[in-house]
Amino acid sequence: MKTRSFLQFVGPSVALMLGLMALPLIITFYLSVRNCTLQMEVVTETQSGPFGTQEVVTQRAKTGSDGRALQSCSFVGLDYFRKVLGVYGGGSSAASEAPPAEADTGGTVAGTAAASTQKSQDAKDSKGKNEFWGALRFTLLYVLATTPFILGIGFALALAVNHASPKIKGFVIAASLLPFIITPVVGALSIKWLFRDNGLIPYLLSFVGVKVFWMAQAWSAQLLIIVYGIWHVMPFAFIVLYAGLQSVPQDSLEAATIDGASRWQKLRYVTLPHLMPLIIFVLLIHVMDAYRVFEPVLVLTQGAFTTSVQYLTYSILLQENNPFKASAASVLTIFGIVVLLIPLLRKTWREQRRGF
Amino acid sequence: MKKQSPAFMLLIYGGLVIWLLLASLPIVWTAIISLRQYVDAFSVPVKWFAPITFENYSRLWIDKEFYRNFLNTAIVTIGTVTISLSVGCVAGYALSRYRGSLGFWLLMIALVFRALPHSTLLPSFFTIFDAMGIRNSYFTLIFVLVAINQPFTIWMLRSFFINIPQELDEAAMVDGCTRFQAFRRVIIPVMWPGLVTTGLFSFLLAYNDFLLSSALTNAEKMTMPAAIANAINAESEALLMQGVAGAVSITIPLLILVAIFQKQIVSGLTQGAVKG
Repeated sequence: MKTRSFLQFVGPSVALMLGLMALPLIITFYLSVRNCTLQMEVVTETQSGPFGTQEVVTQRAKTGSDGRALQSCSFVGLDYFRKVLGVYGGGSSAASEAPPAEADTGGTVAGTAAASTQKSQDAKDSKGKNEFWGALRFTLLYVLATTPFILGIGFALALAVNHASPKIKGFVIAASLLPFIITPVVGALSIKWLFRDNGLIPYLLSFVGVKVFWMAQAWSAQLLIIVYGIWHVMPFAFIVLYAGLQSVPQDSLEAATIDGASRWQKLRYVTLPHLMPLIIFVLLIHVMDAYRVFEPVLVLTQGAFTTSVQYLTYSILLQENNPFKASAASVLTIFGIVVLLIPLLRKTWREQRRGF
Repeated sequence: MKKQSPAFMLLIYGGLVIWLLLASLPIVWTAIISLRQYVDAFSVPVKWFAPITFENYSRLWIDKEFYRNFLNTAIVTIGTVTISLSVGCVAGYALSRYRGSLGFWLLMIALVFRALPHSTLLPSFFTIFDAMGIRNSYFTLIFVLVAINQPFTIWMLRSFFINIPQELDEAAMVDGCTRFQAFRRVIIPVMWPGLVTTGLFSFLLAYNDFLLSSALTNAEKMTMPAAIANAINAESEALLMQGVAGAVSITIPLLILVAIFQKQIVSGLTQGAVKG
């Protein structure tokens, strides 16, 4: 294929990825070092009431000729990064002094009040608290805790189905697909309802004397997120490894049987080495996806006890209403995924290089 | 083949039964309690049998107009799948036929984008779309989902196209077709299985998306998963039960999908694995 027609063919796809992924990423980097505030002005208003006319001095946002609130934007350097990381160096930073303009307040007095309460709350909440590290720590814990179970149980299940009667194989695979393709919000919600007070699981556990309010403390809420993750992703490992088992060379297995190898030895020295590329594939895909864990964190904890890196950006953006601080969190998130991706990129790089 | 010992078979079937129970329990139990009133759904001791009521569903679909969210989901997923496939198809084909290093770089960059957490794009989406005044629109959401889908789509379609011999398009081009005609008349007709599989995964991504749909649309344009977020912190019992009914409503189309397309989904999952 000629380069010219190649470019024409990939053009629309590349344009979409450039416009809606690459460009926004660059803008995120740009936003992360900036801050915008509403321009305030002090005005003296004459208010007429039932008890006569009086002059009131209020502060309000300046509006431009088009009726929009005027914003003054400035370069604030790494202030928001310091904020997200809980590092306070020079004392007075622009970011901690001036909260950003809220999008839809339209420059009313109420908006100013909201902004100033938010400011004091911000200062109180994140004083020296390393929000990003907290989010990253749980995200990595989630990756580390789910991966061995997903691979281990997935492999065991693949072996079991491989030995089971062919009649039930299709059924087991179909049933296993359900947790995998279910909408993550819905999956997390159904786990939440199972473990809710007065739910099914606490009731069953009460027979063995376990009494836990699952969503009321950090460790159990985190455990639920991990349980959800295993439930949701394990079928993927199972199906990929099961497909891999179908291609294990039968002659090697028979040869090993003739040589007197035990079941365990055959598994260890014939099957596992054959599946190794698939295991690594599942591992890398899972690490990539687990780094994005979001829905169960939102559903099961609402960020109360635990956050993940995606949740952090989301909550700063939508709850604190601060796109600049959210951008700083995003940039840190992107650095994290790039570091995690290096092994995957190196592997694919080598394999694909051979193909070209 | 050697006969397995009974203890071994017991272990295997016992394990399978436990997994099937665990896999289906959250879904099945949610479906059961969706047909109950709150007092029967969450009670101590748990009630195994309770009167069946469709009240939660009628409240949700009729009073709360959940059908609107269903239509929104239909618009967004159909739009996303159609555009994703048409754009991804030509790109995936070109990537499977082009030998230059440009293609290699494109695939590598797509892989990085594939891993990108979507929330990192949201701050700039908010800023750009607000400035352009297009934040709360189907088109914006569809194009965002298509773009986010592209890396995965072109990798998957490329791996399907690579299995179609080059001789096929070369023969067509010798017979006087242009490159695009060869692609459309000769390659696409033999590509249906690959297109169906890739389309299914595009569908799942758009249908299951919560983060972008809930952030980029307002109430009247929300998809079903975004709308159900109200149930996360449901304060009233009625609202909670409507959330349960909504969860089941979202899952039913997926159950139908698995029943029809099980083979294609499995082949899609293993496709990437075989090709690395």
